[in-house]
Amino acid sequence: MAGEKEKVVAAAGGCCLRPFSCEQGLLSRPDGSAAFLQGDTSVLAGLYGPAEVKGSKELPDRAVLEVLLRPKVGLPGVIERSREQLLRQTCEAVVLGVLHPRTAITLVLQVLSDAGSLLSCCINAACMGLLDAGLPLSSLFCGVTCALDPNGAIILDPTTRQEQEARAILTFAIDSPERKVLMTTTKGSCSVEEGPCFPP
Amino acid sequence: MATAFKMVEPLEYYRRFLKENCRPDGRELGEFRATTVNIGSITTADGSALVKLGNTTVVCGVKAELAAPAVDSANKGYIVPNVELPSLCSTKFRSGPPGEEAQAASQFIADVIENSQIIAKEDLCIANGKLAWVLYCDIICLDYDGNILDASAFALLAALKNVQLPSVTINEETGLSEVNLKQKNPLVIRKHPVATSFAIFDDTLLIVDPTAEEEDLASGTVTVVTDEEGRLCSVHKPGGSPLTGDKLQDCITRAITRHKEVKKLIDKVIKSIKPK
Amino acid sequence: MAAAEACVGQVVLPGDVLLLPAHPDEDGERLRLGGGAAPRGRLLCGPGLRRCAAGLLVTKCGLLRHRQTGGGAAAGGAYWVDSQQKRYVPVKGDHVIGVVTAKAGDVFKLDVGGSEQASLSYLAFEGATKRNRPNVQVGDLIYGQFLVANKDMEPEMVCIDSSGRSNGMGIIGQDGFLIKVSLGLIRKLLAPKSEIIQELSQLYPFELVLGMNGRIWVKAKTVQQTLIIVNILEACEYMTAEQRKQALAKFSGN
Repeated sequence: MAGEKEKVVAAAGGCCLRPFSCEQGLLSRPDGSAAFLQGDTSVLAGLYGPAEVKGSKELPDRAVLEVLLRPKVGLPGVIERSREQLLRQTCEAVVLGVLHPRTAITLVLQVLSDAGSLLSCCINAACMGLLDAGLPLSSLFCGVTCALDPNGAIILDPTTRQEQEARAILTFAIDSPERKVLMTTTKGSCSVEEGPCFPP
Repeated sequence: MATAFKMVEPLEYYRRFLKENCRPDGRELGEFRATTVNIGSITTADGSALVKLGNTTVVCGVKAELAAPAVDSANKGYIVPNVELPSLCSTKFRSGPPGEEAQAASQFIADVIENSQIIAKEDLCIANGKLAWVLYCDIICLDYDGNILDASAFALLAALKNVQLPSVTINEETGLSEVNLKQKNPLVIRKHPVATSFAIFDDTLLIVDPTAEEEDLASGTVTVVTDEEGRLCSVHKPGGSPLTGDKLQDCITRAITRHKEVKKLIDKVIKSIKPK
Repeated sequence: MAAAEACVGQVVLPGDVLLLPAHPDEDGERLRLGGGAAPRGRLLCGPGLRRCAAGLLVTKCGLLRHRQTGGGAAAGGAYWVDSQQKRYVPVKGDHVIGVVTAKAGDVFKLDVGGSEQASLSYLAFEGATKRNRPNVQVGDLIYGQFLVANKDMEPEMVCIDSSGRSNGMGIIGQDGFLIKVSLGLIRKLLAPKSEIIQELSQLYPFELVLGMNGRIWVKAKTVQQTLIIVNILEACEYMTAEQRKQALAKFSGN
């Protein structure tokens, strides 16, 4: 598993994803690590846990999950905080935290480069990191970003430029067994009919 | 007996109610709490509104200031939203710098403003590249009983509809701005975004407008924001238990009906204060 | 979804549901977690698997393994997922190497690499009495086994078996070298007739203690020899059997 590398160009209904690749177990200190690349966007995830809880966050019935999102430059701001919340609650739905009560699971995501679809890349890196750490999971999940261009066509995994031109950008996290929606967040507005590029 | 049961097995207590298609506070699953809105509650602000959703109370004040527009968008003003969850509103929060929930709510409101184009930022510009309005929208929660996003979005919309900006002209000779406080104009509200939140119970049941207690027990939340044309401004599901596409569609349908209710309410309130 | 037997030896991923072989009805749907001897024909659900409505839910990524217990009915046996992991989670009965971090009254606190420090009573050594305390200092290495290890309680270790014998457990002597490896490698080394250990033992004599928590203590005649063993063990994580044999051949030639 460690160092496993795959490169796939998926063609789904005429929509192309940029080439993506993943490397697991590349950091020696964390309990689990993964780097995820989508085109020129890349995110590095490091995972610690189940470890000792620091401070008063300890929960008696399940593990505390903490997500830290570090931007490429500068300090994390409000956008990072809101994304941390999205990522944390997505991971919480999947990690079987009840199996490790009174412990902490810390997920650190470092943005290495942003060339569009950053949030979905973070989601994918988080999932691969959780997998590498060997934490008990009820399912896997993946992240995907769709952009609606001014003509109403759907572009999957948009680049920064495509994101700027797009009318609306929708990001989803989808779980593996039944392809249900774990997380969605949108930017820009679209009609209800366009909305259901909601998962197949 | 019931109180003891509720304390020991809160989730089971809720399940028994939900099985009968109702909730402990007497509402049906798809029913909102009584919604009240008071516009212009803060006389010193340029625009304000107080919104109550059951016990959840949120007040929004809009303060307008003049500033130079940013260099890269010379014809645009600014809207700066901020959501505060002070320690006064619930035991969940501590005083000090804003916590994660407050920051996430602020970002959500900022996204709603940006996505829906509630106000065209060009409308806030007074003189191209020289002068523009900055609208500081401070949303403060006074009583936290769940569904803070719906209440905040509603308070923001109502407060913005209440804003009266003085007319500003630039003196050609001196180049200084002159504010005419006697002549006031309302803001042009382009869109009316309304948020509708749902809590997910046991991965399948959707209940509308959750209280704080329900939010704690639920396995996830979804917030859908629509405007008057039925367009989606935001579908916000921050993790939590997975939902099928069909269920999300149900949420959107319910959100559109909720929009009509809110729009009717806000129009009625505005009409009632106009004659004065 | 696939039948559990069909997936044995294959890679399974979290979220996969394995269908169970048809049960003889008298056994019911009872299931025991973890180790311990299982009665005939009963199904054991090992690490990385959980029971769900449809069958077995996989919670870890790895190879699915199966072992018949006691040659019982076809439906029985133990299933588990052989996964790679770095963080140790205490399991009852596991032999581990701990580092003494504190002496608190009549218990020692040991760091075993889990989320919580394990406790070890000073009476849990062979021949220890209230008067005859074992000489344990902060920083010492201790090889012991878990007496209590569950998610809700502080793990407790002992250095004696049920008959009061040390059975190899206790304070690990001075000198030597402690390294940390992944849990997957430790399981490989601890497997009966492990190839790596057999090949290493042909180089020269050395002492080796393997803890299930991923810690290995090594001591050979000289420091140099110790370091050679340590480096080979650490490299085993990423070497194939072929590469390892080549590396070992280099040393045995000397």
